[in-house]
Amino acid sequence: MTRSPHDPNGSAAPLLVVEKLVKSFGGRRVVDEVSFDLAPGEVLGLVGESGSGKSTTARCVARLVRPDSGRVLLAGRDVPGAGRRELRDLRRDMQMVFQDPYSSLNPRMTVEALVGEPLLVHGLERDRRRRRDRVVELLETVGMSAAHLDRHPRSFSGGQRQRIAIARAIAVGPRLLICDEPVSSLDVSVQAQVLNLFRDLRERLGLSILFIAHDLAVVHYLCDRVAVMEHGALVEIGTRSEIFGSPRHPYTRALLDAVPIPDPVAERARARGNRAAP
Amino acid sequence: MKHAKAALDTPLLAIRDLRVSFPAPDGPVEVVHGVDLDVARREKVALVGESGSGKSVTARSVLRLDADARLSGRIELDGTDLLTLPPRRMRQVRGARVGLVFQDPLAALNPVMTIGWQIIQPLVIRGVSKRVARRRGVDLLSRLGVRDAERRFDDYPHEFSGGMRQRVVIAIAVIAEPELLIADEPTTALDVRVQAQVLALLRELADERGMSVLLITHDLGIVAGFADRVVVMRHGEAVETGPVDDIYARPRHPYTRALLAAVPRIGDDPARPLAVVDASGAPADGARRREDGR
Amino acid sequence: MSGQNGQNGQNMAYSEAPAGVAARLSGGRWTRAARRAPRSPVLERVAIAVAALMVVIAVVGPLLAPHDPYAVDLGSALRAPSAEHWFGTDANGRDILSRVLYGARVTLLATVVVIIAATLIGTLVGTVAALGGRVVDEVLMRICDIGLSLPAIILALGLAAALGQGLDSAVIALAATWWPGYARLVRTLVREVRDAEYVDAARMIGVTRARLVFRHILPNALDTLYVQTTLDVAAVMLVISGLSFVGVGAQVPSAEWGAMIAAAANNLTNGWWAVVFPGLAIMITAIAFNLVGDWLRVRNDPTIREGKAR
Repeated sequence: MTRSPHDPNGSAAPLLVVEKLVKSFGGRRVVDEVSFDLAPGEVLGLVGESGSGKSTTARCVARLVRPDSGRVLLAGRDVPGAGRRELRDLRRDMQMVFQDPYSSLNPRMTVEALVGEPLLVHGLERDRRRRRDRVVELLETVGMSAAHLDRHPRSFSGGQRQRIAIARAIAVGPRLLICDEPVSSLDVSVQAQVLNLFRDLRERLGLSILFIAHDLAVVHYLCDRVAVMEHGALVEIGTRSEIFGSPRHPYTRALLDAVPIPDPVAERARARGNRAAP
Repeated sequence: MKHAKAALDTPLLAIRDLRVSFPAPDGPVEVVHGVDLDVARREKVALVGESGSGKSVTARSVLRLDADARLSGRIELDGTDLLTLPPRRMRQVRGARVGLVFQDPLAALNPVMTIGWQIIQPLVIRGVSKRVARRRGVDLLSRLGVRDAERRFDDYPHEFSGGMRQRVVIAIAVIAEPELLIADEPTTALDVRVQAQVLALLRELADERGMSVLLITHDLGIVAGFADRVVVMRHGEAVETGPVDDIYARPRHPYTRALLAAVPRIGDDPARPLAVVDASGAPADGARRREDGR
Repeated sequence: MSGQNGQNGQNMAYSEAPAGVAARLSGGRWTRAARRAPRSPVLERVAIAVAALMVVIAVVGPLLAPHDPYAVDLGSALRAPSAEHWFGTDANGRDILSRVLYGARVTLLATVVVIIAATLIGTLVGTVAALGGRVVDEVLMRICDIGLSLPAIILALGLAAALGQGLDSAVIALAATWWPGYARLVRTLVREVRDAEYVDAARMIGVTRARLVFRHILPNALDTLYVQTTLDVAAVMLVISGLSFVGVGAQVPSAEWGAMIAAAANNLTNGWWAVVFPGLAIMITAIAFNLVGDWLRVRNDPTIREGKAR
């Protein structure tokens, strides 16, 4: 049975539907009629170089930015047009992890306050002590502990801060996690830890993840499906094996060709291959 | 005859027991703890490490770029100890014998001077006439892949894209034909396709001119396709060094092994979790690890 | 050429040095030198002590005054400093020491009122301008420009003519010309924070707009404001004294320091003490607060407070 890339499970309705999304800045189309689906429990990678519009697309989905036109439906509910009350409900179902761990956490708040804020704001745990307990649970889920509660972001490393950001994002129990280049500014070893954490959370919590990245190797590791963007347009979308094994669009192929391989023998072979067939 | 052979065998750059410390309110802080490093002629060496490893500081020490830094040890360029050189002679070394390519081309270029002016400076200050320098600069820029180089020579940095700016920075670094080029994370700020082009350019330039390259990077991917030898740094120390094939196929130090195991590769089976480096630098196994407050 | 590249070039290299070192190595040559310059802890402590002393005097000075500062005793006019009158007497026989002690309260109180008023108004206007959209921003900034273009003295004279002379007019005039400076400063600070990623993160969580402003934006934007207000104490104090000296502010027989100098200026040769002591009081207080402000600014240096998002 062939499964359409838009419906890998074959039966479940998509969690997120993006249809003909358009956003312009200063007359230029930064997001140009982008459409894709995200199934429940799926990790979709959105890749492209700078200026591809992938970040803006993510921000439109998150409603940090209002698209000019197009539809974004989260579990069937309209996102761009949502009123204040609906938006708050939507925010319980979708959360975001940002790129820079050094600026995505309010430096004046303690870890307890940061991770507890979503619980407070959405009225999920009004009792202070129970909220604190819930925060400890969340911290432990991401590999941190109660010892970190009363400290401020500045006393943590980049990797730890991202964990705090992730704990904050999953606090309200969202079904969709939008991650905007969450490991791009981390060291290799720390990046590996955080990627493993994403995989772990996706299995345990049944999360769907929209993962924006420019590093194709990272995307290969984490994502079930991949969408490739160039100059605002979505040029190719497919499963991991389709995109990495048999890419169709020339841009996708060019990108894959340019990805460095951490293996000198393979790199030399590729260089020879390139010289032989320009 | 013997002398010639000896000259070919001695490394172009020899760093011995380099220690670098910086002043701080509570007393000097040592960030590089006794590093040894060689770069032979025509060799491309990659200095690899994560943040805080001291790789950038080590490379910058060769050119003594940081006035605050206290350096000890030896840094010999073709036999001359750079650390004991008087400032005037050190200035002669910079640009003409050792060139430097910076990480962020936007910050490395003077926004109010044309790129052409900046490219010819290393020649002009050494007495080359402006006309000759300009000719060489245009040719070099063209060689680096900038189309319409003659006209663009008089443009300003902001009129170029990131990749183009990096080519300008490279031109500035190599126009005076240095024997050694130090490239400090030259492609970190660039997109993947431009990165590949710039690295290819650096390789070609190095081969054409017989120039040695010391590449500083955290990216184990670009090292594999670029370097002849690799030096791995961690916490201010060089923990392993060797030919590139050996380092990747048979890493000896646990940190090197852990680092290589933590890099995601497109060829790998995605179901296998990435290895994770634990506090001692040895590989641990993936998924959840409790972090003790660091 | 390759050696002398900009600050940022250095920042890149140091961004990967151990945390504290990286922060300490940022900045241009002068900033780094200034940071390294030995700060005299003695001077800092003396400055803080003096400033604190002045505040204390402002509060309890009147209780310590040996004489009634307003008691006229023409028989003892212009006596040099003596055991009975430590600072001497003025042309009306009033004890200078007592007047200086009372004057602390008058001067500093007026100063504090001006600063509080200017800060409150300025913060309100600056915040609204930074968060309210382009039109609101333009309108408010033009109003600020008008405020900034009025010299304090002219406005004070005008108000004095309208409301009558006195310290009240001076205070109002000064507050009216001082708030635009704060408005601009706060506007800049809030604009920086407004675009910070943690503000987006808070929006993403779904916080209300009020919470966004009061819990996330303002605390981070305004946390360095106290440096500016401390530095302004000296500046405002000097202007108030100056206005009184010119005759527009506090009037005789007020013990305001500037007014005291004005009253005694004509008699400088006969009674230098009547000018020198209030003058010294102004000078020492201004210097002390300036030094405290400087110390606060250095303490606030982002290289030490690495946590502040920029």
